This record gives sequence, C-alpha cells and structure tokens, in this order.
Amino acid sequence: MLRNYFKTAFRTLVRHLNYTIINVAGLTVGIAVCMMIFVIIQYQTSFDTYHANRSRVYRVLTEHRSSDAANIPFSKDVPFPLPNALKTSFPQIEKVTPIFASNNDQILVTDENGKTLQQFIEPKGVFFTEPSFFELFDFPLLAGTYTSLQEPNNVLLSKATAEKYFGDWHLALNKTIKIQVGGYVFEHGTEVLKVSGILENPPANTDFQFKALVAYGTGFTGSLMNKSIDWNDRTNQGFSCFVRLPEQTAASGINKELATYAAKVQSADNKDVYQLQALADVHYDTQAGNFSNTAISKQLINVLWVIAAFILLIACVNFINLSTAQAVNRAKEVGVRKVLGSNKSRLQIQFIVETFLVVLFAVILAIILTVLTLPYINQLLNLSLSLQIVDRVQTLLFLLAITISVTVLAGFYAALVLSRFNPIEALKSRFKVNSGKGLSLRRGLVVFQFIIAQALIIGTLVIVKQMNFFMNAPLGFQKEAVVNIPFRVDSLRISRLDYLRGKLMSIKGVEGVSFSSNTPVEDGADNWTSFRFNNATKESDYKVITKFTDDQYLSTYHLQLVAGRNLKPSGYTQEFVVNESFVRSLGIKNPEDVLRKKVSIWNGLINCEVVGVVKDFNNRSFRDQVAPLVMTTNNTMYNQAGIQLTATNIPATLAAVKALFSETIPDFVFEYKFLDEKVDGFYRSEMQLAQLYQLFAIIAIFLSCLGLYGLASFMAAQRVKEVGIRKVLGASTGNIIYLFTKEFILLIGIAFAIATPLAWYYMHQWLQDYAYRIEIVWWLPLIGGIGALVIALLTISFQAVKAAVAKPVKSLRTE
Amino acid sequence: MIKITDLEKFYRTEEVETIALNKLSMEVKEGEFVAVMGPSGCGKSTLLNILGMLDDADAGSFVFNGIEVSKFNERKRADIRKHNIGFVFQSFNLIDELTVYENVELPLIYTGVKASERKEKVEKVLDKMQIMHRRNHYPQQLSGGQQQRVAVARAVVNNPKLILADEPTGNLDSSNGNEVMELLTDLNEQGTTIIMVTHSEHDARFSHRIIRMLDGQTVTENILV
Repeated sequence: MLRNYFKTAFRTLVRHLNYTIINVAGLTVGIAVCMMIFVIIQYQTSFDTYHANRSRVYRVLTEHRSSDAANIPFSKDVPFPLPNALKTSFPQIEKVTPIFASNNDQILVTDENGKTLQQFIEPKGVFFTEPSFFELFDFPLLAGTYTSLQEPNNVLLSKATAEKYFGDWHLALNKTIKIQVGGYVFEHGTEVLKVSGILENPPANTDFQFKALVAYGTGFTGSLMNKSIDWNDRTNQGFSCFVRLPEQTAASGINKELATYAAKVQSADNKDVYQLQALADVHYDTQAGNFSNTAISKQLINVLWVIAAFILLIACVNFINLSTAQAVNRAKEVGVRKVLGSNKSRLQIQFIVETFLVVLFAVILAIILTVLTLPYINQLLNLSLSLQIVDRVQTLLFLLAITISVTVLAGFYAALVLSRFNPIEALKSRFKVNSGKGLSLRRGLVVFQFIIAQALIIGTLVIVKQMNFFMNAPLGFQKEAVVNIPFRVDSLRISRLDYLRGKLMSIKGVEGVSFSSNTPVEDGADNWTSFRFNNATKESDYKVITKFTDDQYLSTYHLQLVAGRNLKPSGYTQEFVVNESFVRSLGIKNPEDVLRKKVSIWNGLINCEVVGVVKDFNNRSFRDQVAPLVMTTNNTMYNQAGIQLTATNIPATLAAVKALFSETIPDFVFEYKFLDEKVDGFYRSEMQLAQLYQLFAIIAIFLSCLGLYGLASFMAAQRVKEVGIRKVLGASTGNIIYLFTKEFILLIGIAFAIATPLAWYYMHQWLQDYAYRIEIVWWLPLIGGIGALVIALLTISFQAVKAAVAKPVKSLRTE
Repeated sequence: MIKITDLEKFYRTEEVETIALNKLSMEVKEGEFVAVMGPSGCGKSTLLNILGMLDDADAGSFVFNGIEVSKFNERKRADIRKHNIGFVFQSFNLIDELTVYENVELPLIYTGVKASERKEKVEKVLDKMQIMHRRNHYPQQLSGGQQQRVAVARAVVNNPKLILADEPTGNLDSSNGNEVMELLTDLNEQGTTIIMVTHSEHDARFSHRIIRMLDGQTVTENILV
C-alpha cells in the first residue's frame, strides 16, 4: 500500500513537472535560508561553551558611575590593581586571571645574533596573561608547558602563528622573538621573548582568538600594571580580568562584597563598581564587547530566528497556493479514486506522501545549496562557519523537524481541500474550489507574504539610505586623500620626527603632514579624561576626549578655528585647543570666554591654558554626538602620521613615503590606511546588516512572487471559462489583464498599508541608535511598495496575458 | 448581411488533418432566421464560431455587412463582434460570480456605454424577458429556462444586428425550450437576424430556412417561409 502511495506520488510529480519544479525551488530556497540561519545561530551560541569550567568562569566588568550618559556605562576594562586585590582580599575566588590585550604589536623574528629576519604586525591576538588562564579556559598544548607563563618574557604561540614566524612550529620552541607593544599609550621599549610552548590553534568559536600569549609580568605589564595601586588610572584600555569561582558559589554575593570593597579602596570621587559577568553572557554583550569584536546581541539572534521562520512560512504558503491551484486539474483524479473506493483519509495520505517527497527533495537540495553558499556567507558576515563546527546530531534533528513541520504545514491544507471534493461534481468537472473561504485564505496568505516582503524592502531602503548618509555626510574635516601611517615612538624616533616631516614635505604630492595620537574621528579608540576647568575644586562629572596633536593638525585635516589661535610648535604639552562642544558643555556661550582659562586633566598631571577653540567636527561615529575635546602637543604621545596628498598620482607618492619611512623608522612594518576608508570601516556592522537585509528582502520577494505566480495560474485555470465568456461579450485583452491584476493590486495595497507602519516603527527604533540619522521621508516606503507592486504585476502578467490572448472558442468548447 | 464563399477550416493534430469546413459557401440576408442542422462533427459549431468571429477560417472569403473580415486581426474582429453580434449558448455560459443584472450589463460595459444609460437598457431588456424580479439573483439560483432567458437578454441588450444561437434549447425541457424559441422569433420579427445551430427538427421549424450540413459542406436547403 505504502509503495503504491510513493509510486503514484512520484508519477504525479513527474507528470506535473512545472509545478513540481516551482514547488521544489521555493521550498529549497526557504529551507536553505532556514538552515543557513540555523548554522549561524548554532555557531554564535557555541562560543566558549566547550571549556570544562565554563559555568564557574566570570568576567569582571567595570560599571562607570562617574561618567556621563554618552559614555559606555559598562566596560570590560578594569583598573590595574584589581586582579591583585581580588587575589589577596577575596579568598573565596579560586582563580584570578589578568589579561592585557594589546593591539598593533610589532613582532620581529631575529637570528641568533639579534638581526631582524622578518617583521610582522599583529593587529590583535597578543594577550599578556598568567598560567591560571588555562585553569579557566581549555586550550590544548602541543609542546612546552603552561606553567612557563609564570616567568616573564616567555611566550606561548599558537600553531598557526609559530608556522607564520618560523615556517614549522616544531622549530619554534625555545626560539626568541622581539615585541614592540602597540596597545598602550605610554612609551615602552622592545621586549625579547622566548617561545616556551606551542598551543593548538584556538577554535573559531572562542572569543580568545590568540596568536601569542605572553607572560603577564613581561616589560611594563610587570613594572607598571602589576605594581599599580592607582584605581583611577584611565590608561587601562584592553586590561581585563577573569575569575573562576568554586562550585555552588553565586556571583551575586561577590558582587555585593566587591561594591563595598571598591568604595573602601577608591578615592571618594571614584564611584565605579565592579561586577562579575558569567562567561555564557560575554559573547552577547555588545556594549562591553570582547577581545575579537565578535559580540552579537541576543536581539539580533532573535531577529534572525524570526526572519528564518518568516521565510520558511512564505515558502510553505507558496506550496499551499500551488497545490490548491493544482487541485483544479486533479479534481477528476480525486473523483475517479473516490468512485473506485478510496476514502478521504486515504486520499489525504496520498497527498501528504506527495508533499513529503517534494519536501524531502527540497531538503536535500537545500543542504547542497547551504554547503555551496557557506563561503559567501562567511565572506559577507566575516564569520568562519564550517560544517565541522556544526553539531551533527542537532543539525539532523533540525532537518528532521523542518521536514516534518513543512510537510504538515504545506501539505495538510492541500490534502484537506483535495480530498474533500465531491466525486460526482468532480467527475463532471463542475466543482467549485473558489467559493468563499478557500480563496480568501489564499488571499490572506498572499497579503501575509507581501507584508513581510515589503517590510524587508522598506527596511533595506532605510538602512541603505542611512549607509549613504554615513559615507557622504560632511564630518567637518578633510577625509579624502588623507593617509594615516602608524608608528611607535621611542626616544630615538622622537628625535627623528622633525627630520621625517621635512623629508615628507619635500615629496611631490604631499601637501601637509601632521603627527598625532589620533585621527580627528575614532570609533572607540579615544582617550577620555575628566578635567577641572578654571582651577575648579571639583572634577567634571563627565569626560572629554584628549587628542595629542602637533601644530600642523588643523591645516592637514582642514579644521577651522572659531576663537583664539592654533597650538604653537612644541614637543611638550604647553597649551590647549578645545572644541565648541567643550565650551558648550561648560555652559559658556561665547568661545572667547574660555581663552586663557586653565584646564587640568589626568588628575592634575597636565595643567595648561586654553589658547584656541575649533569649530565642532564629528570626532565620533554618527552613532554619537560630537564629544567635548581638548587637543595639545606632546611628541611622546604621537603614534601616527597624517599625510594630506594631492589627488593626482597617489601610488607614486605613497611609494616615496614608504621608502622614506623604511629608512627613517626601520624595524617597523609600514602600513597605511586612507582616512575615508577608516571612517567607512566604523559602519561595517551596519554594512553587513544592510547586505543581510538586502539578501533576505530579495529572497522574500522572490518567494512571494513564486507564490503569486502559483495563485495567478490557479486563477487562470479557474477562470478559463469566465474569460472566454467575457471575451465573447467583447472584453479586450486589456480588460482581461485588468480583471486578473486588480485583485492583486488590492492585496498588495493591503499588505503595503500594514507593512509600512510596521517597517516605519522598527526602522525608526533602529535609527534611534544614531545621534546623526536620516529622516524616513514619506516616499521611501512608497518606493518600496511600488517596487513590490511592479515586480508582482510582472509576475502575474505572464499568466494574465496568456489567459487574455487565448481564443475563447477553446475555453467554451468544453461541453 | 453575410456572404461566405469557399470557406475552409482544418484541425491538425500531429498525424491527422480533419476537415471541419470544406469549401463551404452560403449567404444570409438581413432579417432572416436560419437554422443549421446536421450530425455531430459535421462542422456546425465551427461555422458558428467563424460567423461569430471567435475563430478564423483557413481559406475562403467572409463578407460581413459588405466588409471582407476574413483577414481582420483579433482586435478588429472583436470590435465588430461586440457591436453587432449577440451569442446564446446551449449551456447558457453565465458568469456564476455575477448577478443576473450584472451578467446582462457586461456587454454594455465592454462597449463603453455610460452607467445611466446601461441601467435603463438592462432594466428594459430584463423587463421584456420577464426576469426583472430575478435581477439580484445569481445564475445558480435560477431554473434552466430562466438562465437561458438571462442569456438571451444578455445577447440582445446591445441591440445586435445578428444573434448566433448554439443549440439554445439543448439543456432545457420542452416547455422552457418553446419559451426560448418564441423569444427568438419575437426578436426576429423586430428585425434581428438569427442563425441557430440545432439538433431539433421542432426548433428548426421556427426558422425561415434550414441549412443541412454533412462533412463540412451544405447538402440541402429547405425554405420554410
């Protein structure tokens, strides 16, 4: 019996090949999208879940109580004294592990005589930590020992890094490398490190994407960080602390003690408190972030789930629409089968089996499609998804669930409709499928599809428009044809800065050169400080950005003075230039009024007069308002050159600049980045979101149109005779096409009316994240609606025209 | 009014070519009532379709009101059709989704008659066909005879010069059938030309002239009046 079901089902599918292809194609795309999202989510939720002690590991977060609302209230950076304080004053904590994540480190691979063989720059992935790191996290060792990290100037390399530096990781052990750390604001020298072990490469699903683990205590981590007793030191960027608690110990109790303890050890004006955050929450904390910038919000994961569900539903709706369309053609078969003794439930089983075969086929194709498109998704989302990561059992269960639920969702209604045909009417082909309910369900489904499709289109339009705004809105400074070249100062190099500037200026195509600690705009890489204005007794309760810049900064980046004068050339810190926001934050209206007033920053370490005020420029990404800013000279703080180029023959100029840098600052990897590209990079996550939305919008509209095509063909089949009669009575081709399209125009209109406020609301919410944002103008949703309508009408018109030009004789000859 | 000469029509399938009309010639004068009879497959319906400009012939000439229409394209033929010809079918061919009133109104919409004028015309013809009281019913709610009266009303609402009837009584009992035949006779007496395909000798006797067909050709003509 079952074999008979499968045999008939297979033959039916082959006979109606067109419908089968459309059905399989729609379901394949829908299921593939679902699977892709499943893989992404499985990947995202697997981060750092493989550590044996994961449930007992916590990260210490700083809650900034003294900062203004514009600053991040939670940070992963902790004060330098915290790890030692936890070790000594909190015996109930089993393990305390400080981690300092540096960035843009220069690595020199040398021969036995210390001669440089190779240079590398490691933007990320160098961590300074203690052996206890491995009692919190599981990272297998290939050679050497974990405990070697106890000794300063030892380093454990990952296998890939060892291979990069030495060719073969077996050769790396006991070799030495030199490191010039880039991720700390103060000057420090070169450290010589001995490779004391090789670690297996970290898996893709950990936030600790290390290349090298250096012993905490090496260089300034030992001389400065580990010895620090200054809880107010704000140079702690990248300094984190993880702890391991005993079993059955709640974090909440320790949090309470930590608050009391912080109040005790910190100065009165420092209200910051510290909290333990479970390791399981780290990957989802987009506010505090993590070491590899891979944090993803739970909200985004939920949005992905919802999109997956919607796309799958759209695909199921298509199946229902197409199957019921087919039902018209199959009514006779149902009649014959019923006359020959089949009953309702047997027919239902038969149709379900057909659906099952289609779904099964679609699932197989979807798996192939997923595997084939995974590299593109990786590229698009900057992920490293692979089927190795995928939990096979979970995936199989997921596919099984998809197969069953789609079969039920898609097949059940069609089976119900088909099996219900009255055999006598069906045989006389006088059945009516479209009386009332049936078609209105289909109408509802079409409206539903187009709500989703149009909402996604409108969302995409809004994101794209905001992206254009990011790229093109004026920032208040020159970003075109400006390159930034990082370098690291030491006393030797400082002495060469003036020489370097003179030589750079003599290169043809160089218009201006400025040395500074930061470019005009940074995305989170600024130095913030609280300050005292005009010898006030109390520190400000908000922070300002500090940029160390030379006197050429204003001219190179085309910044405008609104009061006072520019900084005088100096290697030391003598005076301040502030921005308009700084003036305004003090409640002062006239910029002239801040001139010659004293500003003291860094706990009184720097105390100088304001000599000038610059016009506000966007010193943060468009997510945030312009922040108050102080700028001052100090050549020990400069770490990059900003070079304004003439627009012509940039490659030749850059080649000359590179030659000059290699000569003047040897042992340093020459890198450059165009400022406009750097600014564009601030919005990478938005760019990804835009591309993701585009992709989903295209898939949703494609699937919806596939469904429309099905419904149009259903209508055409249903109304062949009516069209014939109308034509005999004088209807023109245009009349008939209108007859077919007016209903869909209405349905899409209804969908538009529902989708627009929904999309407007959500996109309005999304835009609230940006201090600088576009308005959702009225014609933006309209473009989305009209776009969807045009695509839909093109889809329907094929069937409509076919029906309209058919000769009426044929359709009326049925008697 | 109608003059066809050496009209030919073939139906081709992959292997067989069937001749539906074989050099058929005939003439119908304005005001005539002609019945076309013959066995199944003799080409009656094909002839009627060509006369109604729903189908085109493969060869021969078809002059309608002094105009040669056999080479006209679909659009031109549709234009002549909607202004000059009304159809009555054996199975009524009413649109189930439309009411009696709306069914009858349809040809007027397609010929671009104004709404106020339409109302007047539809009511007049419904009245004449004595189905005014059924104007808001749907076709399924009517008896066969009533449905055919609606179909006739729809065929004549535009005041066509020619009515083509394809076995108009085929789905009706004899009393309903007679009613419909009397309706057609009345219309003919008021000046409408009627060409009717029928199997029924009884119905054929309502006409002026009977054309008998076999294998795509006319075999005999009986002039009754």
